[in-house]
Amino acid sequence: MTLRPWHRWVLWTIALGGVTFAMLAFRGRLDKAHVTLLYLLVILLGTVSGGRTLGLSLSGAAFVLFNWFFLRPYGTLRINDPLDWSVLVVFVAVSAVAAQMLHRLQREAVVARQRAEEVNQFAELGAETLNVARSEDALAAVGETIRANLHVAACEIHVGNGVDAQVADPLLVWVRQNGCAALRLADGTTRLAASADAPDDVPPGATAVAWLLPLHVRGHVVGVLELRDARGIDLAHAERRFLRALSYYAALGIERIRLVAAADRADALRAADRLKDALLASVSHDLRTPLTTIKALAHDMRSRDDRALVIEEEADRLNRLVADLLDLSRLQGGAIPLHIALNAVDDLIGALVQRVSGVLGDRRLDITFQDNSTLLVGRFDFVHALRILVNLVENAHKYSPSGTPIALHVTRDGGWLRFTVADRGPGVAEAERERIFEPFYRPSGAIADSGSAGLGLSIARRLAEIQDGTMTYSPRGRGGSEFVLSLPAADLPADAIES
Amino acid sequence: MLVIDDELPIRRAVHNAFRDTARVIEAGTGSQGIDLVAAERPTLVVLDLGLPDMSGLEVCRAIRAWSNVPILVLSARHADEEKVRLLDAGADDYLTKPFSTSELQARARALMRRAATSAGQGEARIVIGDLVLDLTARSLTRGGELLHLTPIEWDLLRVLMTQAGRTLTHQYLFSEVWRGRQFGDAQQYLRVYVAHLRRKIEADAIRPRYIITEPGVGYRFATAAEASAADGT
Repeated sequence: MTLRPWHRWVLWTIALGGVTFAMLAFRGRLDKAHVTLLYLLVILLGTVSGGRTLGLSLSGAAFVLFNWFFLRPYGTLRINDPLDWSVLVVFVAVSAVAAQMLHRLQREAVVARQRAEEVNQFAELGAETLNVARSEDALAAVGETIRANLHVAACEIHVGNGVDAQVADPLLVWVRQNGCAALRLADGTTRLAASADAPDDVPPGATAVAWLLPLHVRGHVVGVLELRDARGIDLAHAERRFLRALSYYAALGIERIRLVAAADRADALRAADRLKDALLASVSHDLRTPLTTIKALAHDMRSRDDRALVIEEEADRLNRLVADLLDLSRLQGGAIPLHIALNAVDDLIGALVQRVSGVLGDRRLDITFQDNSTLLVGRFDFVHALRILVNLVENAHKYSPSGTPIALHVTRDGGWLRFTVADRGPGVAEAERERIFEPFYRPSGAIADSGSAGLGLSIARRLAEIQDGTMTYSPRGRGGSEFVLSLPAADLPADAIES
Repeated sequence: MLVIDDELPIRRAVHNAFRDTARVIEAGTGSQGIDLVAAERPTLVVLDLGLPDMSGLEVCRAIRAWSNVPILVLSARHADEEKVRLLDAGADDYLTKPFSTSELQARARALMRRAATSAGQGEARIVIGDLVLDLTARSLTRGGELLHLTPIEWDLLRVLMTQAGRTLTHQYLFSEVWRGRQFGDAQQYLRVYVAHLRRKIEADAIRPRYIITEPGVGYRFATAAEASAADGT
């Protein structure tokens, strides 16, 4: 039932009159308590329906009617019995207090309803901000909600740093950089705040035509919210609270845009990385077929021309270089497959001897074990470990004078297997001892035509690291270099192997 | 001998490598190759991966479905997983490009010799180098001296020696040796068993003559010819 306010006044005035009229008919048989209670009922119902003012007016009117019609002498405002005065005063006081309390309850109910609505609004807005397919749309929605709710002409959310904007607004840039709010007044002057909240000290007579508020996420300024209205912007306390809450949503929306963009970029980078890998793989694949042909033809010519052997060797070198490049790229992209398994050191060293025997020629490779009787085992990737040792031995072969042997010593050191490859080469200057593990680095005294691109050691170290091992360099006593590969050792359970 | 390869230069190279020792026929596609295996009954198939019409794996399986002809695979990739897949699909050996002609000739010879000897299979004694494996007596001698082997070592050696010259994958060896045995995570100990076996049969366990490691793939037992060649050096 919706009634206009003045309808209520008329209605309850009639009700009060009606009650008075009805009671007049039985005046002789009525006690003062009856009259008081009936009037109170009308006053309270009137307060509920029409509010405090109506209630208090009704109680005033009831006071007069009570006195006039029901307290002797009737028809006057005079009162004979002083006790009747107390009845009247108590009646007025009770009705006024009741009206006041009812009013307060109603007001609190209204505030609670408003609060609930506000919370709902924020929740919906929050959900929208998170759910809208495009973050830009969410931002636009937040901006529109602020504009509509605060009744301003325009609400704009500036993303980005504002510095490289085409028409850089210096005030906007200032807000963005300092993370503090600012106002622009109608006379063209500006007010800068010391915090993110809008300044309160608008000089009397001046009106703020624009508010610029920084948008913060986790302590970073991610954008600026700008309110504009040529008629001036003056926000009440509740509106400011609303604006603060919504600015936060706007900041989250901007952050979301940034994160989505970052994710897209990461996707693109991954795709590019895959493409690079595929390209390298296919290049190395396509190179191998012609290399095979070249080698086969050179082999055919061997009996007729000594230079054919050089062609074969160079084809092999080219192939190794391509393989190294491919591996280095895979290692750096973290895409190299790893098969950690229980392996015997015998097996690894055997494969190494087989692999390097062709390269070493007449050079001796002295292999020693700390203890020949026990079988050393470790958990590592056989193929990668072999690759590392082959690289180390080939390196030693390249850099040491002919005739000097290469020494390989294997020990068990606590939880580690240590493979030490030692040569009698020139060693490595102290300043270069870490740099030799960088790709494409070659020590300053390197032989120009040593047949390497300087990838061997960097690949070796990366391969050691991906299987939880290490690779270090130290100078060898009485000249030369020692490269130590450490890989995780393993222990065989006593009953694992039948003997 | 049949070469299945879509690249003419490689076909020519293989052709040249064997022109003195075998009659070489060529196929440019997988399906043509499979037809030629049926029609010409070659003693060896050299199969290049990356054929235009079908994958090398498919060709391998198709040939293996009805023929025991040795298959030597050529590949430009050096992924060990691929080698393992092909060997498990029935290929006998594998060469990574660029390979040398002498390597190709040696592998091919080993495969053809093995095929020739296994034709008369059921032999009770296998002699490789100074090792004599007597399958009926279940005994192994080296240079006339009896060696003691554990049951697992015996089975491992038997599987390796009866297929000498073939690269056997870890998975294949494991399923052959541990077939019917109780095992927990015994597979991880395969390499350790091999190391123990080597210490018994090899003169120098880190310069093995007999059990050759194919890194990332498995093991291969040397053929009699390889073993005696190693003797000479």
